[in-house]
Amino acid sequence: MTTAIKPRVDASLADRLAEIVGARRVLNRASELLTYTSDGLPSYHKEPALAVFPGTRDELIAVVRELAARGVPFVPRGAGTGLSGGALADGVVIVGLNRLSRIISIDAENAVAVVEPGVVNVALSRAAAAYGLHYAPDPSSQAACTIGGNVAENAGGPHCLKYGVTTNHVLALTVLLPSGEIVTLGGAGGEQDGYDLVGAFVGSEGCFGIALDITVRLSKNPQAVRTLLADFMSIDAAARAVSAIVATGIVPAALEMIDQATIRAVEASIYAAGYPVDAAAALLIEVDGALAGLEHDVETIESLCREAGARTIRVARDETERTRLWQGRKKAFGAMGRLAPHLVVQDAVVPRTKLPEVLERIREIGVERRVRVCNVFHAGDGNLHPNIPYDASDADETARVHLAMRDIMKLCVDAGGTITGEHGVGIDKLPYMDLIFSSDSLATMCTLREVFDPSRRSNPGKVVPLHACREWHMSPAARSRS
Amino acid sequence: MTSATMDTTEQVRDRVRDAGARGTSVRITGRGTWIDAGRAVRATTELSTRDLSGIVAYVPGDLTLTARAGTTLAELREATAPHNQWLALDPHGSDDGTLGATVATASTGPLSTAFGAPRDLVLGIEFVTGAGAIARGGGRVVKNVAGFDLARLFTGSWGTLGVITEVTVRLHARPSADASFAVELPNGAGDVERVRNALRQAPFIPYACEILNEHLSRSLIGSETDAAIFRLGGNAEAVEAQRRALEAIGTPREVDANVWTRLRAVEPEGAIVFRLSRAGSEIAGIWTEAQAILHGCPGAMIHARPARGIVRVIVPRDERSIAQLRVGLAARAIAKRVGERMPNDLWPLIGPSATADDLSTRMKQAFDPRRVLNPGIFGEPT
Repeated sequence: MTTAIKPRVDASLADRLAEIVGARRVLNRASELLTYTSDGLPSYHKEPALAVFPGTRDELIAVVRELAARGVPFVPRGAGTGLSGGALADGVVIVGLNRLSRIISIDAENAVAVVEPGVVNVALSRAAAAYGLHYAPDPSSQAACTIGGNVAENAGGPHCLKYGVTTNHVLALTVLLPSGEIVTLGGAGGEQDGYDLVGAFVGSEGCFGIALDITVRLSKNPQAVRTLLADFMSIDAAARAVSAIVATGIVPAALEMIDQATIRAVEASIYAAGYPVDAAAALLIEVDGALAGLEHDVETIESLCREAGARTIRVARDETERTRLWQGRKKAFGAMGRLAPHLVVQDAVVPRTKLPEVLERIREIGVERRVRVCNVFHAGDGNLHPNIPYDASDADETARVHLAMRDIMKLCVDAGGTITGEHGVGIDKLPYMDLIFSSDSLATMCTLREVFDPSRRSNPGKVVPLHACREWHMSPAARSRS
Repeated sequence: MTSATMDTTEQVRDRVRDAGARGTSVRITGRGTWIDAGRAVRATTELSTRDLSGIVAYVPGDLTLTARAGTTLAELREATAPHNQWLALDPHGSDDGTLGATVATASTGPLSTAFGAPRDLVLGIEFVTGAGAIARGGGRVVKNVAGFDLARLFTGSWGTLGVITEVTVRLHARPSADASFAVELPNGAGDVERVRNALRQAPFIPYACEILNEHLSRSLIGSETDAAIFRLGGNAEAVEAQRRALEAIGTPREVDANVWTRLRAVEPEGAIVFRLSRAGSEIAGIWTEAQAILHGCPGAMIHARPARGIVRVIVPRDERSIAQLRVGLAARAIAKRVGERMPNDLWPLIGPSATADDLSTRMKQAFDPRRVLNPGIFGEPT
């Protein structure tokens, strides 16, 4: 649906925004805007008209109201670490939120924090550490990504296996709707009844507006943590160990799989973690919580890994060794970056019991398409990250990478899974939405979007393919006849 | 009121479309076990999902289960128990209630202390919108961010946006040890505060922790004072350490695990039930406020869930109690109030509906433009 108002992004808008935020905080030259033409997934490139960086809540409100008055589409953007091409669009105003980085309050008594959208994920956990608390969702980019971005994407991370993803930790939001209206969703004190508008907003990929502040639940720091590395001579054996652990009732804080291609990339990089380079796969397993009973869980996990065929099992002796084991995992994407100039970071989920057959089929796809697939993923959730390093200047290789990606998406959907577990749809996964949702389901999502943003100006063109929304403007009866 | 049960999603859709075309409205029900819950619904016909039942998919190794909305919690328990798994939802009432109703009403019970509310366990849903479209949100895997989150929007929407026809939930593996203990609390609200502090400082989260007033603790565990009951899960060593930690509050004695089922089913026929809540740190104050509201209501039962800042009160229905509640509820309140079952004229004292804001009104209008579904259940204006 094209909007009736013709957007006016012109010099007068830049001047007006400069009045609100200061001239230095409005960028409009192509060279200045280069950073905002893509996100963490460099295969997409879009050209915004302007970028504006409000420094206070009031400036942000004034900016969005100005854009509303002029009918100008905009894209809210945090740190730009997203992996779905979600924070970019042609001809829009980028509303950068990274200057709104104040932790407004920490209520240690109730384990609740209120933050501005530009607070960096790890900064919140650092601030909460003084109270023995932390913010649980921990995406790999946590040193850079913002809580506002995490809310938009419903971000996950390795420790979400036990602690849940972003939506399980957001209690309330003050939201600036694209119209400029301010609404309060949810609440930190007491039960919430009525519609779960917080649940609807989290994961809406910037299409429903901008969070002015976010109230999150903090989690107790565990009394004890144990981290194990088990290596296997086949991926199948590692996948069986995953199933066996999950079935015991022990919920590991994290249960990650790293395949041989990834191990080798990590070990050849500055992030070398001491992973065995001849193993077909390694599992990085962490259990945490009360000290009592924890060693027993570690022993159970060790014996299940051995039964599944683990060759060696290493338990980190101290915090230094633990950090090193995690460093390899968290920096794996960076290490893969050394293998080739470009990297496709993929994200999909399959039912956990399907992991062995899906991983085998992914290996075959790699062979068929002559691409190198590196798997490093949240095995406990069945959340795959098959990544492909390649050279984008090689047209033939690029084409084969795209074909392999399509094959892998199709494979995961056919296995009963989904096309994204934590990176979001953005523009990258738009072509696959039809694989998992009917046109009525997509149209219903458009309906939901229009409740928040009837003019569809906030992050246009994301999540739901445009054709699905057009259809909705026919009545249900008309659609059933067609 | 005429009533019809549906056994396919398409029948539900046709029925909703038909009501829309005729300008009539429908009341959505499951097994009807919580039929008197919520505000009075103005509807001319009833649409029951009780025949829309059965497990659609369950692979134990995936720890997920998909069932049609009319499937009872008891059926889910029977299917999952042989695999040493469970759906960690224990809403008040009995397991005769349906999965669809539990999700539609976002009903919680004691286990929400550790496992959260339905919004934390629902992975995907299928529903029929008030406009008569069959749609899905979420999926069948444990992690999923594809598309806008219709599953959470519909959880707790009380059938006012659409009729839930199928739900996929996350299951949990049962722990190797699961034991229940009671600790007596002779010192009133001060003890409520102590329990809350002990939980906050403990290195573990109990599966459940409920504080019972004297009346309730007498009938459930034969105690003569207020008491706290705990459900502890994990491996044997962990559970033993947790039991020892309870000694900071009092002397834990083991109680039969059926105390939880009995607590869920404790309310007498026709009882008035509502909840008070606020931040967890204020649980003792809410407890005191509940006692003040209930002053002079014979047989009133109170239980608190400190981890979630909720105090739930149950008042056997009689004229004297209703008169007393009219006074008690009119007094200035600190806690937020949410009604479960109330006589019609007490509803206004509970407070305004949480769906009265502009955004919620627009949501209702967008999903149910002809106002077919459960009109009045949120107390919204006609």
